[in-house]
Amino acid sequence: MSAEDTFRFAITALLQQPRRAGLSLLGVVIGVVAVIFLTALGEGARLYVTEQFQTLGTDVIVVIPGKTETTGMMPGFTGTPNDLTIDDARALLRRIPEVIRIAPISMGNETVSYENKSRQVVVLGSTPEFFELRGIPIALGSGLPEGDIDRGANVAVLGRETARELFAEENPVGKSIRIGEWRIRVIGVNGPRGTHLGQNLDEVSIVPVATGMRMFNRTSLFRIMIQLRPGSDIEAVKRKIEAVILDRHDEVDVTCMTPDSVVDSLSAIVSTLTLVLVGIAAISLAVAGIGIMNVMLVAVSERRAEIGLLKAIGATHRQVLLIFLMESLVISTAGALVGLGIGYATIHFATWLYPAMPAEAPIWAVASVLGLSVLAGVFFGVLPARRAMHLDPIIALSSKG
Amino acid sequence: MIRLEDIWRTFVMGEQTLHALKSVTETISAGEHVSIIGPSGSGKSTLLNVLGCLDKPSRGRYFFDDRAVEGLDPDELAQLRLNEIGFIFQSFHLVPRLDALANIELPMILAGIARAERRERARGVLEAVGLGDRAAHRPSELSGGQKQRVAIARAIAMQPRLLLADEPTGNLDTRSGVQILDLLEELNQKGLTLAVVTHDPEVAGRADRILEMRDGEIIRRISATEFSAANPIFDRGGSGARP
Repeated sequence: MSAEDTFRFAITALLQQPRRAGLSLLGVVIGVVAVIFLTALGEGARLYVTEQFQTLGTDVIVVIPGKTETTGMMPGFTGTPNDLTIDDARALLRRIPEVIRIAPISMGNETVSYENKSRQVVVLGSTPEFFELRGIPIALGSGLPEGDIDRGANVAVLGRETARELFAEENPVGKSIRIGEWRIRVIGVNGPRGTHLGQNLDEVSIVPVATGMRMFNRTSLFRIMIQLRPGSDIEAVKRKIEAVILDRHDEVDVTCMTPDSVVDSLSAIVSTLTLVLVGIAAISLAVAGIGIMNVMLVAVSERRAEIGLLKAIGATHRQVLLIFLMESLVISTAGALVGLGIGYATIHFATWLYPAMPAEAPIWAVASVLGLSVLAGVFFGVLPARRAMHLDPIIALSSKG
Repeated sequence: MIRLEDIWRTFVMGEQTLHALKSVTETISAGEHVSIIGPSGSGKSTLLNVLGCLDKPSRGRYFFDDRAVEGLDPDELAQLRLNEIGFIFQSFHLVPRLDALANIELPMILAGIARAERRERARGVLEAVGLGDRAAHRPSELSGGQKQRVAIARAIAMQPRLLLADEPTGNLDTRSGVQILDLLEELNQKGLTLAVVTHDPEVAGRADRILEMRDGEIIRRISATEFSAANPIFDRGGSGARP
């Protein structure tokens, strides 16, 4: 009996009970779609994070007040570390040769208002270097003024979204707005930058760092972004930063984050999540396999007369086994293929809904779920097929057929 | 062609031991037409199953063409059934989802005969049983007599030498039954050895030889002439002796 004939025979048998075959196939479809879509989301999240940090460049270090290692908590929540000051930032630039650019950052949430319109936005205090580090273009007017960073003029560069909402068609440059209690002159408007590192930079307003610290009534910086000479040894520079901080604070009460370290730890989280998803998917495939087994057991008992006949007219044990194995294999393979199609369609739909979110099923996941579901068909098909094989033809023939 | 020597078939059911066949010794020659008659439970179906290599005797020797059947493994038995033996059943046992042609193709599929060839051969035997125009009909679209013709076509598709029929007319009206018997007789006259289990005297009367069974034993061997003398049939088209 050729494989092609076995396949055709299986198809005629399955088409005889199309709804039953379809439902057991659906179980496989759901399992496969789940794996493909969920791993695509996980992989998408990982790619998203990686991509976001890669635009920062690999030669960037972010210094955050507070120490993660001592408490295991997020930096910033650990007791009351010494203030991270603008002087610290300047010292880092002066004392570490690899540091070519620094951007001290203060941050707060303030109400920005112009005439009768107002809006709650994130206000960042920083320096002109910040624009270069984060790749923010200036669309109108100018960026933050160069020069003495301790002084802090009462000026601001508005995010383009904020500018449009407050000023509509009017040119904001030179206008006077209020940020919190402060009267601030608009000197420029950002070009489009979109969401980067979880901040919508089109909505953020940027003021000089000292202005920001006064405005938010803070004595410590939110963080310091440091750009290194390309090709610097990041670990060595981290140690130098810690040495400088130790010298100034008498303790290392800061955490140095690099894009790599952030991506690594996020990747680890995403990988764990992905594994959990794969586990869930494997369980759903097992459930689908049991569904196939159930359907095949029913088929074997319904088709006793046919099995008896096949044996009477000369089918070997092996042929009977293969006929029924082929049926479960066809169900699981068809389910896998349909699931593959629907899985990719779902991914397309999701990326169409959320274009910013890359979702891409990793090849290993697609290959293994296809392989696993086909295997599930064989594995869970063996028991019913063996039952058919061992059926006594005389008893089988005496049943109604 | 067939030699049975002291065949026993014993079923053990808990405490009880049932002898379905008790020391059956019989020879069937090539080209012979034999009927097996007897009341229900007399062992005639068991004997047919043993002849068809579906059942293994508990004791005794079975020679098919001088080959000792009891020495064959399951695959060799399947091979023997495929190539040498054709089965016909009371309830036809056609696969309902397959059309007439595909049902006839089944044994040839098992034998691995290529598609084009088996189609052609299936068409040939379907025409031989007079159903050339019913190739694409499903069993549900055929009458009882037509179904049994398809079943016969399937049984002879592999050109077996032994045809075993278990109450072939049991589910048919008299007219179809006679046609089926005519067809079987025609096949027998072309050289096919035929063994028919029945309790219809009219069916049995067509055989060269009648084996009468009771309680697992062959109690009488009757020639056709003796049998028709004992079971006068006045009207071949409508015997009142049918069960």
